[in-house]
Amino acid sequence: MTDFVPARYFTPLLAAFFFLMFAGDAAAARIGELVQTDPWQQMRRFFTFSDPGLRLGLIGALLFGATCGLLGSFIVVRKMALIGDAISHAVLPGVALGFLWSMDKDPLAILVGATIAGLTGSLVVELIQRTTKIKQDAALGIVLASFFAVGLCLIRMIQNNNGASKITGLKSYLFGDIAVLDRQDILTITAVVIITVLLVVLLYRPLLTIGFDREFAYSIGLPVKLLDGIFQLFLAFSIVVALQAVGVVLVSALLITPAAAAYLLVNRMHHMLWVASAIGMLSAVLGVFFSFLGSNLPTGPFMVLGASSVFLVAYLFAPRHGRVTRWLRHRSRRRDVSNENTLKSIYRILEQGAANGAGNVVQIDKLAGERRVSKAELLTDLRRLRRIGAVDLIAQGRDVMLTDAGLQRARRVVRNHRLWEVYLTNEAAYASNHVHDDAEKIEHFLSEEKVAEIEHQLDYPEVDPHGKPIPGRIGA
Amino acid sequence: MPDKNVHVPALEVHDLTVSYLRRPVLYGVDFAVPSGRLVGIVGPNGAGKSTLIKSIMGLVPSSGGWAKVFGQPVKEQITRVGYVPQRESVDWDFPVNVMDVVLMGCYGRIGLIRRTGRAEQAKARAALDKVGMLPYAGRQISNLSGGQQQRVFIARALAQESELYLMDEPFAGVDAATEAAIITLMKEMRDAGKTVIVVHHDLATAREYFDMLLLLNMRVVAFGETGEVFTGELLQQTYGGRLTVLSEIADKLAKEGS
Amino acid sequence: MNLHRIFVEPWQSHASHYWPVFAMAFFVTVACGLIGNYLVLRRISLVGDAISHSVLPGIAIAFILTGSRSGTPMFIGALVAGVAATLLIEVLHSRSRLKQDAAIGITFSTLFAIGVILISIHGAHTDLDLDCVLFGKMDFLPGREPVFLGVPGVTVTMAVVAICVGLLIIIFYKELLVSSFDPSLAASMGINPRLVHYLLMAILSVVVVAAFISVGAILVIAMLILPAATACMLSDRLWLMMILSVLHAFISSLGGVHLAVALQVPTAPASVVVGAVCFVVVWIVSPRQGLISLWLRSHRADRAPEVRSAGNV
Repeated sequence: MTDFVPARYFTPLLAAFFFLMFAGDAAAARIGELVQTDPWQQMRRFFTFSDPGLRLGLIGALLFGATCGLLGSFIVVRKMALIGDAISHAVLPGVALGFLWSMDKDPLAILVGATIAGLTGSLVVELIQRTTKIKQDAALGIVLASFFAVGLCLIRMIQNNNGASKITGLKSYLFGDIAVLDRQDILTITAVVIITVLLVVLLYRPLLTIGFDREFAYSIGLPVKLLDGIFQLFLAFSIVVALQAVGVVLVSALLITPAAAAYLLVNRMHHMLWVASAIGMLSAVLGVFFSFLGSNLPTGPFMVLGASSVFLVAYLFAPRHGRVTRWLRHRSRRRDVSNENTLKSIYRILEQGAANGAGNVVQIDKLAGERRVSKAELLTDLRRLRRIGAVDLIAQGRDVMLTDAGLQRARRVVRNHRLWEVYLTNEAAYASNHVHDDAEKIEHFLSEEKVAEIEHQLDYPEVDPHGKPIPGRIGA
Repeated sequence: MPDKNVHVPALEVHDLTVSYLRRPVLYGVDFAVPSGRLVGIVGPNGAGKSTLIKSIMGLVPSSGGWAKVFGQPVKEQITRVGYVPQRESVDWDFPVNVMDVVLMGCYGRIGLIRRTGRAEQAKARAALDKVGMLPYAGRQISNLSGGQQQRVFIARALAQESELYLMDEPFAGVDAATEAAIITLMKEMRDAGKTVIVVHHDLATAREYFDMLLLLNMRVVAFGETGEVFTGELLQQTYGGRLTVLSEIADKLAKEGS
Repeated sequence: MNLHRIFVEPWQSHASHYWPVFAMAFFVTVACGLIGNYLVLRRISLVGDAISHSVLPGIAIAFILTGSRSGTPMFIGALVAGVAATLLIEVLHSRSRLKQDAAIGITFSTLFAIGVILISIHGAHTDLDLDCVLFGKMDFLPGREPVFLGVPGVTVTMAVVAICVGLLIIIFYKELLVSSFDPSLAASMGINPRLVHYLLMAILSVVVVAAFISVGAILVIAMLILPAATACMLSDRLWLMMILSVLHAFISSLGGVHLAVALQVPTAPASVVVGAVCFVVVWIVSPRQGLISLWLRSHRADRAPEVRSAGNV
């Protein structure tokens, strides 16, 4: 039931990627080398996938978008967002050293160098925290900036010693350029993605346990330190594969933002992994699209903006936690409460006048007095009630008549109110003059089961503490 | 105490010493718990109660001494020990539901890579049923009350099917109904032959809850049958001079009880 | 001779343009280091990082609108962006179940991305381009118009900012100390801790903007944290930490200028590297918290087991 089984879906996806990749013409121009064209033409080129360089870029974007989402989910729930940021800055000297070692943009040398630098960075953070009184935040800041500065110096030195031809390759590591991805890069990315997915699938349960409750994970004998090490290693890997397209400076955003959006949208970890990967892919593709439209723009910032827009949508409209959804829910609840209060007032007036045989009709002026609101406000409320079929306005809008449905709802609210008053006086030993305000709130939220339970517990009382009759159960 | 396992204590702690930032917090703790008992660890704030069970579990490094479970080091007997951390130690916004948390209790036994199967599901369900949380199995954990959270933690421990349980403040911040339910469950577990060791902060109830008490204040003040160690003098020693009122009350309780 | 080129030539009269570079580096690191002490103390170092990234769109918009990099519009733009970032972080994590770390990460990366895009769209410009964001333009100072005793305007601005920061810290020393150490105590004494927090963030934004031209947006965090972190390993007293951070600022900026000449790299990353080296050296040799003393202590404890105080944490 709770199993996380992506393997079955990933196989066809991967097959599709490979098809796209090898269908491309190897000799074709890269995106960056395109001559300036107008946006419409570019858009057409984008959606027809006619540009082989673009095809490669898109495959790369989809692949690392997915891994960033997967690993980012663990980062977000473990509150490691800023650690991810620090590690992603710390890989820069490794990139430069990898470059120096091979004297070329060899993806493997850079992957190895950057991974070592990233892991060293996280080790130093831990060492600082363990041996000094410097706290985590400062330790992260120190490592982030120092490693980054070393990386900048190295890059500048490489640039000084080499011709301009190699500089473009290195520069893309700072702000990201999807156009520099070649087939060799894509192969590296694919390999990293496959083992990352395998890792998450195989070790999902232990990773989940460590994330939720580290001490407990230790106590059941899980190899927590080893798993942490593996996780950090893969984190470094996936930072590095996204590096060229997104850039050192912003790659952490691609880890955090899609996962944070997913965190707001769903409630289970394995759903979060799926959603975060999907958002990661979407953001990466959006980034490719926009930087393709206006060629010569760095890719990374656009990917980040894509992710941030998705996050914003999630933040505002997430089904349960979204700001707007919550506001709407709040408003509809307030309306419900106000509707029920109006119905209740009508019922009270009817109750007082029952002896006069006034039927289900009440004068609006009288109702406004009872509700203590202006007539205009009351009419807005009544129109809303008419729309839901609870009342009818009669006698040219001077009187209001309860329909059967309205009467039932009014009886229910009044019953809840009075029942709760009895409950508070009898069971919670409230004074009978203290119970009204509480009942005024609770009457709208009592479920039928709760009511049945209370009625049973109180042995079906007939009058409230003030001596007023409690309306019987609906239909009784 | 006639017990068939009396020769192999469920938990034996010998000269355990723990320091934090070079400042000792526990000195030479010595005690042995026979199996099938319900034991309370009581002491003032900062007495090292939680540290004691954490260092028994190996979560906090000790700087001396050892702890053995059923005669062997804890590491080798890890599946026979269930640990219930403090409720506040985890993030209750974590995206898992009640069932997921309880299933974690089975992860220690099934190994790193294997999936949970029907058997584990059934165990988790049974554990949830025991703590009265089965109707909430699909509930996101952030929507639970404090008492319900604690019940979930206990259910997770039950799903571990251990023989020795170490629980860190399971009664902290829970409602009276949950407290009663948990203590009933602990007594059931004890009657089924399990050993349950509980860090407890409330002296007033400690006496009626536990068979044995460990009075702790950076060192073991006393350890023994509740009736024998729940005396004014020993409580006074445990709580120092600061909580004289409390120890007077305890004294009174002790006199009334005997 | 190489050493001559690195250590002597920069200060000889014909190459005296290193003076403004050094002065700028020193003022930047002093201002950052002083305010950084409070960031470290309040454990919000990474908010400093977030703000330094977030001011970028403010700077970019002001630059694009006015076409100049001088003074007021940029300060206003950056201040608005900085305060907006602080508010955004607060709103994101207090109004949803998102934790603070993720809120910080999302806010600064989004604002920074906007800034980068604005700068790239506006096209390469000698005064404000992506190189400036990364490396800073400290080394181009000597080419700028001198306004005061051969010192360019930005350096004067930075000096004024550094002096103001120093004065503010001296004047509000008690308030800052109390509200950093114990916000509820501060509140009970009539100091509004939230107000102090936002004031600190505003000062931080000003410092970050003033420093932006010379060190860019990313390296600032090093200038903020390294002096304070180094100082706090040598002393427990805040005022002494302040003095030590100024010392650290001096060493790292002086060393930075020389390292930059030696390696032919920009001065800003070079001073950060020197600052980091200082940190590592202090970390190793510090009398109380240093790695050597830690090792010696645990060694002694091993030999004398009756003293149960092995460094195990």
